Amino acid sequence: MATQDKRSDTSDFPEIINTDNLQSNMKSIYYSRTFLSIIGGVIAGIWGFTGFTGFVFYFVVMLAASFGLAAKAKFSADSYFDSWNRVLLDGILGGLMSFVLFWTFAYDIVHIF
Amino acid sequence: MGLGFVVGIIGGFLIAHAAFSTIQYRGELKIMEEQFTGPPFNAVIELLVGLGLCLWAGLAVPTKFLSILPHSDENRVVSLPANLDFMVFNHRGKVLPSNPDLKLKI
Repeated sequence: MATQDKRSDTSDFPEIINTDNLQSNMKSIYYSRTFLSIIGGVIAGIWGFTGFTGFVFYFVVMLAASFGLAAKAKFSADSYFDSWNRVLLDGILGGLMSFVLFWTFAYDIVHIF
Repeated sequence: MGLGFVVGIIGGFLIAHAAFSTIQYRGELKIMEEQFTGPPFNAVIELLVGLGLCLWAGLAVPTKFLSILPHSDENRVVSLPANLDFMVFNHRGKVLPSNPDLKLKI
C-alpha cells in the first residue's frame, strides 16, 4: 500500500500521508546533512580549528544547512514532512561523527604530515 | 542535477587547492621558524567560497522534496510505475472504515 492511515492527535487534517514520499524526503535530508558534515569537517581541519571552535563551526554549518533545507521545502514543512523537527533537527548528531572524523583527517594531513 | 554536481566539484577543487596552499604556507613558516596562526588570506577566501558552493550543491543534488499531501496534484495517480494500463487513484474512500467481517466470505 502506498498510503496508510495516520491519525494525528492535534488535528484531523491531513489524515492520510503518502509515506513513500515522506521517506524519500527524509533520505534526501539525510544525504544533504551527511555531505555537508563531511565538507564542514574538511574545512575545519584545513583552517586549523582545535577544540571548541571546531564544534562551534559544525553547528554553524548545520544551522546554514537547516536554513537551506527549510528554503528547499519552501518554508512549509507541512506539505513535505510530518513535523518541523524533521527539517530542522534530524541528522545533526549523526553528522557530528562524520564531521569529527574528517576534521581530524584533514587536520592531520594539512598540519601534521 | 548536472549543474549541482558541477558546482559541488568546483567547490571540492577550491577546498583542495586551499589545502595545498595551506600546506605550502606551513612549510614556509617552518623554514622561517614562525608560529602558525591561520591559513593565508586567499586560502581562507577559497575555503569560504568552496563552503558556499558545496552548501548549495549539497542541498540541490539530492532529490527534490515530494509532496506528502494526498490531495496535491502530484499524488493523484498511485500506479505501478512500469505499467500505466492499471491506474489506481488516491480517493477519500480510503479514510472510510472498512470492516473485513462484512465482506462476503466464500
